[in-house]
Amino acid sequence: MINLIVIVISAIMFALLLVWWRWPAFRAWIEAPKYSMLRQERRFDDRNAAGTASGSIQFMAHRDY
Amino acid sequence: MTTSAEIASYPSERRNSLSLAELPSVEYGLIRAHVFASLVTLVFSVLFGILVATKFTFPEFLGGHGWLTWGRLRYNHTQGIFFGWLGNAFLAFFYYAVPRLANRPVSSRKLGWFLFWIWNFAVVLPGWVLVAAGFSQPLEWAEFPLVVDAFVVLAFILMVFEFVLPFVKARLSDLYVSAWYIIGGIIFTMLAYPVGNFVPELVPGARGAAFSGLWIHDAVGLFVTPFAVAIAYYVIPATTRRPIYSHFLSMVGFWLLFFTYPLNGTHHYVYSAIPMAAQKGAIVASVYLGMAVILVVTNHLLSLRGNSGTASKDLPLRFVWFGVVSYLVVSLQGSVQALMPVNRFIHFTDWVIGHSHLAMIGFASFIALGGIAHLWQRIPGTRCNERMMNWSFWLLAVGLTLMITDLTIAGLVEAQVWQSSAPWIDSVRAVASYWLVRTLSGLPILTGFLLFWASLVTGPRLAEAITFSTSRVAPENNVAFEDVPAASHELAPTAWLANAHVIAFGAGVGFFALSFLVLAILPGKQLEDEIKRVAPVTMPTLTTSEQRGRVVYGREGCAYCHTQQIRSLAEDVRRFGAPTEAWETKYDYPQLWGTRRIGPDLSREFNIRPRDWQLTHLYNPRLVVRDSVMPPYPWLFKGNVNQPTQEGLDLLAYLQSLGRARQLSGFDQQMMASSVHAAISEMAMTSEPSARATPPTVPIAMPGGYSDSAPVLHPASNPDDLQEEVSRGGTLFAANCASCHGSAGRGDGEASASLLPKPANLTAARFSDERLSSVLWNGVAGSAMPPWRQLPTEDLRALVAYIHSLHLPSVAPSIQQAANLNEGKSLFAANCASCHGDTGAGNGPAAGALAPSPTNFHLKKPTEERAWEVLENGVPGTAMPPWQSQLSADQRHALVEFVRSLYGTPQENSGQ
Repeated sequence: MINLIVIVISAIMFALLLVWWRWPAFRAWIEAPKYSMLRQERRFDDRNAAGTASGSIQFMAHRDY
Repeated sequence: MTTSAEIASYPSERRNSLSLAELPSVEYGLIRAHVFASLVTLVFSVLFGILVATKFTFPEFLGGHGWLTWGRLRYNHTQGIFFGWLGNAFLAFFYYAVPRLANRPVSSRKLGWFLFWIWNFAVVLPGWVLVAAGFSQPLEWAEFPLVVDAFVVLAFILMVFEFVLPFVKARLSDLYVSAWYIIGGIIFTMLAYPVGNFVPELVPGARGAAFSGLWIHDAVGLFVTPFAVAIAYYVIPATTRRPIYSHFLSMVGFWLLFFTYPLNGTHHYVYSAIPMAAQKGAIVASVYLGMAVILVVTNHLLSLRGNSGTASKDLPLRFVWFGVVSYLVVSLQGSVQALMPVNRFIHFTDWVIGHSHLAMIGFASFIALGGIAHLWQRIPGTRCNERMMNWSFWLLAVGLTLMITDLTIAGLVEAQVWQSSAPWIDSVRAVASYWLVRTLSGLPILTGFLLFWASLVTGPRLAEAITFSTSRVAPENNVAFEDVPAASHELAPTAWLANAHVIAFGAGVGFFALSFLVLAILPGKQLEDEIKRVAPVTMPTLTTSEQRGRVVYGREGCAYCHTQQIRSLAEDVRRFGAPTEAWETKYDYPQLWGTRRIGPDLSREFNIRPRDWQLTHLYNPRLVVRDSVMPPYPWLFKGNVNQPTQEGLDLLAYLQSLGRARQLSGFDQQMMASSVHAAISEMAMTSEPSARATPPTVPIAMPGGYSDSAPVLHPASNPDDLQEEVSRGGTLFAANCASCHGSAGRGDGEASASLLPKPANLTAARFSDERLSSVLWNGVAGSAMPPWRQLPTEDLRALVAYIHSLHLPSVAPSIQQAANLNEGKSLFAANCASCHGDTGAGNGPAAGALAPSPTNFHLKKPTEERAWEVLENGVPGTAMPPWQSQLSADQRHALVEFVRSLYGTPQENSGQ
């Protein structure tokens, strides 16, 4: 059991570090979400600000998907 | 080479090209509803907790009603925090964050309201009512009854549709770490909840405990933790307007957490009958988990680098920061306390209660409060009273720090007492003041939560929601993400990496399957094989009454103070008896091992205490154990202790059945003679200094067993030393004996009204040192007098000295005429010798079958008045009948004189 856990965790860590080291495109890809999250946050905030300015709180009719 | 046209077709790129009006809607109504529900249930849950804590100091407080008893309030406290407070807070956050993270609205507003009603009006509210009414499940973090569990599972399925489906439809490759945690956590808990709640009802005892242990940890590790970490990862960059330090590290942390957290569960049962491979696996996973959390928290704190001023100025961020720091502390604490040398010391103590409060308040609640405050300030039209929120933060921080410090020290004190040979009640006395402080520390916490609630509904209405442009953060932080090409994240190195949501989904399913296979199913199979191999074929099952009593035991929360799990540790074996074997639990549906000891373990209760003691103890524990903090159970009686209800009798029957199978089966004798013992020891405790290596039949291992090795305790002969012993013995007597024997030793203590036979009147007889030593060492079979051999020998000697001092110096042997003595002798031979023996040594032919044993008049020498009283009235509750109707007054008088002639010389009787 202990061996299994140690081996699996070591494998996960080793694989991630190997990919990080040998695959530059992976670095850009895996770091990208932290930027897109902020962009999205800003867009929603901007919409809120615009909605507040126009006196509307519910900005968009909900669509059930 | 990716073309610009291809890039433009990526979901993320399409997302960035949406106009503001095309952004998905956010369900502010549902956010408000869940925030309101979270705070209402939070206040009730904390109130339940404060009542629970108060009962440690005032056990009678609100003790007359079953629905306000300690056990049921304790169930509702934790379930209220879990489902009511944190569940609603997380749902509020999901409604805020999912549309932003997935770029799609949640699936359906109607579904959202349905989920809200299910969560609060089919889970939380009915759960509380049912538990208070006595319908519950005595499993940690699974206390709501099964009918409520069905709605919880339904709610999690609805959550998949409401919150996970938008990610599936969005097909984003750049899934932010918060989304990974939300998806993984929902999927994992949806699968783990039914397994942790339903399976222990179907899989008994130790095998069921393997499943329960997993759920105990999964509840915190894969419901509370992922969502709290998701909030932290969201609030920090959204407030500082700077990306987190490393998304790569956040992903490493995600995978490590999801891999190691589920494997932690069995560390709640270290040194138990669960196979040692599973226990050690859980310990190793716990250590890895600590390392994973270091990584996660490092990433959080590095994300705040240069923004310490923001963390102090922005209240939501300050709450999150406190939560993140607590997360580090509590996780490292968890890793350390899983280690065997630490675990054997602090497990079952208040240390662990401090640990869980640090996790649920310091980590999860602070982050949830931060998340709520963050999103609240970004909802247009809301109110916010920052001054009040600031007070809330400090009250919570101070109250929590006091509580954790107090409980941690209390745990160490308890552990120290448990390691010694002091009576169990000494550990209760030792931490009584700590429990009071803990209760008081709950007041600033409750006030803090109330102020937080008030801060959201008072104060000025926000002129405009906080946005990037109105945030307090330095504007230079904006540039950190503005210059990064929008499409860079679409350039997934391989196609399969672009399906991040599927991978996150797989993490939830895969790690769930792995943990239950490795820590529950495989150990369960091993245990099943072991039980088949070693369980005695004649193992008795519970009677119908005992089974009903078991339900009452679970309903009242007995398992939350009394374990039924003697660990394979020398200190446990010395105090409670042989370690609990898996086969002993083969009929326990669900298992009642427990994870906390306020009272002693009850695994070996069979043949320990008589019926009247148990009933008196249930009616009012302090009648027989003066400083007990156990709640009274008057609803199990019809107005007085001598009239138990059927439920009271059922509970009594169940208590008296605990350990019966072990004692009647002859298992320990077989084990000593067979190779099975070696096989079990090897499986369970291969390399540990094992208590299993101690023969489980060593007399001292059985608390109620008779031991011939009782030392004879002679009080000091030096008058000064004797005086000191008498003085100390008086203190010990008042603490341990007076509730039954009365403060003056006349056998008229509060408990004596319901005990049969009555406690001895210690002033009405002179006892020899041998007799007192034997009684103190072994108790008196057939009476409520327990063995006190766990007291230090010096204390027992002091008690002997004190009891001698109670005796009135009027007991002298008979000086009557020979004629009277001869008549008495013949009467004695005809009527008394069959029990008391020819010489009055208590060893007549019938004596062996009697409990309590007939008096040995050489060792116990009643006064003339007492002897006369016994002949007149007998001794109720023993085999001694009244002789008033069978012997004339003269005959009884002659008999008294003869009995007194057996006492020995006047010198002996004066104690010289």
